[in-house]
Amino acid sequence: GSFAHWGQSARGSSMFIEALIMEMQNPETGIKMHTQRVMITNIPHAMTGSDILQWIIQHLKIAEEEALNLGNLIVKYGYIYPLQEPKNLTLKTDSSLYRFQTPYFWPTQQWAEDDTDYAIYLAKKNIKRKGILEEYEKEHYNLLNKKINYKWDFVIMQAKEQYRTGKERKKADRYALDCQEKAYWLVHRTPVSRTPLYTAVKSIIYYQQVLMKSTVKSSVSLGGLVKYSEQFLSNDPIMSGCLPSNPWITDDTEFWELNAKLVEIPTRMRVERWAFNFNELMRDPKGRQNFQLFLKKEFSGENLGFWEACEDLKYGDQSKVKEKAEEIYKLFLAPGARRWINIDGTTMGVTVRGLKHPHRYVLDAAQTHIYMLMKKDSYGRYLKSPIYKEMLAKAILPQETVKKSSSFPFARRQLRSSPSPVILRQQEEEAKAKEAATNVDITQVMSKLDRRSQLKQEPPK
Amino acid sequence: MVKEECKALLDALSRVTACYRHMVLTIGGTSDSQNLREELKKTRQKAQELAVANRNKLTAVLKDKAVSKEDKAEFERLWVIFSTCMEILEIDMRRALELGQEFPLNVPRKHLIQTGMSGGTSGVAARAMSVQNMKYEAEHNIDVVDLKDLENEINQVGEMMYEMEMKVNVPQWTVEAKQDPGAELKSTISVGASSIGMISVEENKSFCDISKVLAGIIFSAVLIVAIVLAVCVVKLS
Repeated sequence: GSFAHWGQSARGSSMFIEALIMEMQNPETGIKMHTQRVMITNIPHAMTGSDILQWIIQHLKIAEEEALNLGNLIVKYGYIYPLQEPKNLTLKTDSSLYRFQTPYFWPTQQWAEDDTDYAIYLAKKNIKRKGILEEYEKEHYNLLNKKINYKWDFVIMQAKEQYRTGKERKKADRYALDCQEKAYWLVHRTPVSRTPLYTAVKSIIYYQQVLMKSTVKSSVSLGGLVKYSEQFLSNDPIMSGCLPSNPWITDDTEFWELNAKLVEIPTRMRVERWAFNFNELMRDPKGRQNFQLFLKKEFSGENLGFWEACEDLKYGDQSKVKEKAEEIYKLFLAPGARRWINIDGTTMGVTVRGLKHPHRYVLDAAQTHIYMLMKKDSYGRYLKSPIYKEMLAKAILPQETVKKSSSFPFARRQLRSSPSPVILRQQEEEAKAKEAATNVDITQVMSKLDRRSQLKQEPPK
Repeated sequence: MVKEECKALLDALSRVTACYRHMVLTIGGTSDSQNLREELKKTRQKAQELAVANRNKLTAVLKDKAVSKEDKAEFERLWVIFSTCMEILEIDMRRALELGQEFPLNVPRKHLIQTGMSGGTSGVAARAMSVQNMKYEAEHNIDVVDLKDLENEINQVGEMMYEMEMKVNVPQWTVEAKQDPGAELKSTISVGASSIGMISVEENKSFCDISKVLAGIIFSAVLIVAIVLAVCVVKLS
């Protein structure tokens, strides 16, 4: 129920509290114990709230407020439970009595069969109290009967068995056991929260959608994982080493220089990766650069241009979203735009409508359409093109360099710092601006030719 | 006939599981002891024997093509009860391992938690093992030595449950419970228990109670007669 977050975030604090609880058991330095009288039975190991508080203050040497907070936590999570007011999970600082919870019922992350156990507990309580359950317990009972109906015969069977087995314990122990179990479930099962109707309806819709989702057999997805691992094994610097050398080991940064974002001539392994799948090509700025050369020859350079503009909109400065979206519209989407992209009517309609209220994902539909177009149409031809093959032939195969063992062990190594990211970014922006200025696509050329021919056709006066 | 055998085996497993749960609840508390650790060991081993017996019987029956449709549905219902019982047992075994590691018995600086418990669990163990009295013969360091065995047994149980899931194709959610909500209120006296051990334990207890009541009656009768006689003596003298 309300307990899920505790296990996930508080592993360290639970160990701390457990250690504290163990310290409280010390016969010399622990908390003073009293006997609890229940009718004619005496049950040992009862302590007062004020004693608990004082012990925490003295042993941790903290202020009263902090100690009280800690004490409340300890009771809230069920390490200690109140004897007189079981539902009041706070530490009262008077002579109210408390007892330690048995370690089995300490909070723990791995409690898988919660529902089954709770059902057994409620059935047992039904037997003991001859059907008298609290209202919220009755609700839980009925809900569980529906939820885990197929287990119900076992639930009844086990409840009866646990009840009968209890009779083998002595009376005082049986009483203490009952208190323990009751305390545990008061911590773990709060009264059934009434879900408002609209959240219930939303949940139903959500689950209906989830049911309709297409699923993949684990054999298929695992097969994909294996295939991926096999394909990329040679490219993994940790698994297969890297050439010329691992900079972390040899202090030689050549590897990083050879693989810089927009290096003049890339390495062979990098260019080969572009042929693995379209995503690998698009992830690599150098790959996109080479791909763009090819696309221009095919007169579809605007596609990649548009895709990159969308990426900039998504991941760039969000304060400029409105201006960027307008520019992209003027350049790529408007009728007669200089670099007009060819997308279907529906997608165009959705995109134009979305642009009225621009945000970073407003162009997602169009971007996906263009991405799939490039992937299915241009990518295959690109890999067979002279442009790609030339790049592959030019690509560098670095030689392995041997670790230079320094003759003088304390020689100060020349460490060159890499260029500042600020400077790198400026260079990138300048390169982009230069490219944008020189971008001439077929539509521009065609429109120029059109105008010239129109001029020619005007009858001379 | 087979149905009765299966039900009896399942009842026995359920009984032992309930007893095991009682014992695991006691680890780390003031009723924890070397004897408890031995009881835990013997009980879980008994549980595993019963589990194997249940599995063998039920898988044989579920594979039998000659079984009628109604019988098959009934055996599938028993199968679901069986696998749910195994789930509970596995969880308790894991819990026993965690707690056993956290609460070694012979470390002076590690104290048991004062849980208000003071009595032992030998009655529970006797019920699980279907004996009159438990015999204790373990070494003094069983609390540490047994943990390795427990770990292995947890793995075995896990493997067994995995195999069960793979080999027997019973969709759990298609089974409908025979018992309605609140069925537990109808009878709390032992139903369907066919194990001799359990019946004898119950009889034993009621016999002891009856003899105690008889003795009380006789004693008070004698006391009344003595008082009457004394009064008569005083009056007559």
